[in-house]
Amino acid sequence: MAKLRILFETGAPERTIEFDPVKAPFQHDGLPGSVLDILLGHGVHLEHACGGNCACTTCHVIVKGGDGQLSEAEENELDLLDKAPGLTATSRLGCQAVIQDNADVTILIPRFTINAA
Amino acid sequence: MVGETDSAPRHAAYDATIERIVEHAPDTRSIFLRLPPPQRLAFIPGQFISCLIPQDDGVAVRPYSIASNPEDADVLEICLNLVPGGFGSTYLFGLAIGARVRFTGPWGTFTLHRQPEAECVFVAEGTGIAPIRPMLRRALASGGRFPLRLHYAAPGAAHLLYADEFVQAARAHPRFTFAPAVGESLQEVVTRQYLAGDEDRTRHFYICGVGTIVPTLRDLLRGGGYERRAVQYEKW
Repeated sequence: MAKLRILFETGAPERTIEFDPVKAPFQHDGLPGSVLDILLGHGVHLEHACGGNCACTTCHVIVKGGDGQLSEAEENELDLLDKAPGLTATSRLGCQAVIQDNADVTILIPRFTINAA
Repeated sequence: MVGETDSAPRHAAYDATIERIVEHAPDTRSIFLRLPPPQRLAFIPGQFISCLIPQDDGVAVRPYSIASNPEDADVLEICLNLVPGGFGSTYLFGLAIGARVRFTGPWGTFTLHRQPEAECVFVAEGTGIAPIRPMLRRALASGGRFPLRLHYAAPGAAHLLYADEFVQAARAHPRFTFAPAVGESLQEVVTRQYLAGDEDRTRHFYICGVGTIVPTLRDLLRGGGYERRAVQYEKW
């Protein structure tokens, strides 16, 4: 099992999802077991204009805890994050960051997810 | 009610109608989407739209690059392959003229507003030509003295989309070279022409295709001395 705690910059009440990574994918978009997959599969909204194909930055999230328990970012993700507004040292694309088994990860969903085009 | 627990896309969706379908090959077609007047979609060459594909349990989002030009923004062209098992392309291939397609957009940062002050090399594979086509047109229209090249790979002539248009553009614009690569390895072409061929590393690259060829070319070029931001790409 793994745990994903979600904070919202909008001030909405935080959520915690406990899930079994082996059961991924939980829905259609993003890498199976990614932050996006977990959120959408458990009824939590996260923008994903490109369908979770690592072609935009609308699923930008900021990792607040458990950074080391996510898959490493590949160059395509890093290139896109380079164009993301509000980039931080722990920014990830939700569609690409896959949560490992037994992980305890906390993310912040920024107030504005903007397509920086 | 839309709340933090709603997973539906929140961006305003357009409802377009399929005006025309052009079958390039049995597994490759262009779909022309007309927006209801007076709607127009303002976009930058290279951007994509995200089609909302109905599913039993909601809606899935599938992106398609815009192959038409921003100047023709009341009709958008997307071109796509029928992907075995792919519910986005299967759904769109099943629609007839007059059917409605919902989408959001435009999206994407793989764009070209105007040609940079450098030689530009466009590299496309298959339907990866879609975003490249309006980018190339914009680069040609923006004037400039720097060369433009298009290397376009496809498994056969039928899959080489818009070839006549590129041939004509090359005739009309001496600084543009169209280099189709049917059955030829893009990796070999790029290595020969832009890495082994000379020491010039000022060129800008715009690469689009499906699968591993895109990161392969990216790594080749960046590893060969081109600046990271001079190698732009989109991998589908």
